[in-house]
Amino acid sequence: MRSLLASLRRLILGETWTIPLGVGAALMLAVAIRALLPHGTWQTAGGFCLAVFVLAALAGSLRRAPRRRS
Amino acid sequence: MTFLLTMAAAATAVGIEMLEALAIVLAVGMERGFRDALAGALAAVAAVVLLCLAVGPALLGGADLDVLRVIVGSLLLLFGLEWLRKGILRMAGLRPRSSSYDEFVEERSALGAAASSGAGADWAARLVAFKGVFLEGLEVGLIVLALGGAPGHLAPALLGTAVALVVVGAIGLLLHQPLRRLPETQMKLGVGVALTAFGTFFTAEGLGVEWPLSDLALLYLAGLFAASAGLAIRLLTRPVRVAEAT
Repeated sequence: MRSLLASLRRLILGETWTIPLGVGAALMLAVAIRALLPHGTWQTAGGFCLAVFVLAALAGSLRRAPRRRS
Repeated sequence: MTFLLTMAAAATAVGIEMLEALAIVLAVGMERGFRDALAGALAAVAAVVLLCLAVGPALLGGADLDVLRVIVGSLLLLFGLEWLRKGILRMAGLRPRSSSYDEFVEERSALGAAASSGAGADWAARLVAFKGVFLEGLEVGLIVLALGGAPGHLAPALLGTAVALVVVGAIGLLLHQPLRRLPETQMKLGVGVALTAFGTFFTAEGLGVEWPLSDLALLYLAGLFAASAGLAIRLLTRPVRVAEAT
């Protein structure tokens, strides 16, 4: 039962906390910027802001990945 | 365009998850008997369908259109980024490549080592089949709910699921040889790119964004995430110099 619950958590939130945290941070930043920018600017540029935040979340999740050593 | 993209994303994501479930059912069936494997698998399918019917409308039904887009988009981002992260690590050689065939072999040898309960129903085998199919099926259910949850996207998501069902069913009938030939790692990376693009698209629309070129934004978003994934793979593949200890 415990392993099933652990698998369910992994399935919905993923293997690391960095992605759920990153997606949450990206959403909060997007909402904050929407409040700051003029409506028209947000309408045209907001999507690209969100895309950049999503990429930052991905980069953050990869930062702790092991690297090859030479 | 969006219809085809949604259908393709649903078909690929569902197909890959179902391949993994199929590998487990085949392993249980070949090692402990197909009656128990199918009993566990069918119970899991029924549980997933009931869960989706119960949770889906409650989760997505009553929400405002923009709120719904943000919920659906966030779910897709969670799944997409996780698939993308794993795909990048696999392509960079930092984690084993994804292979349903290897899962099949591992599951089969693990089941072969465990003792059978003897005459009557083999509950251990049923439980293994149930757990495998339930977890993979739940992921399928969540992806289809998320992709189909956006207005006008239910039909292509369900159509994509049906295509995946037919294709994976055919592979199941031909048994495990085709599993070895599928480029699963690359397919999973592609699904990660598609789900992340859909997630960004819907979330932004829910927050009031009007994408330049409308639905075609899905294509340039997918291109952006694919290029970023390629760059990340290159950076992670580059060896880190370790200072020699003196």
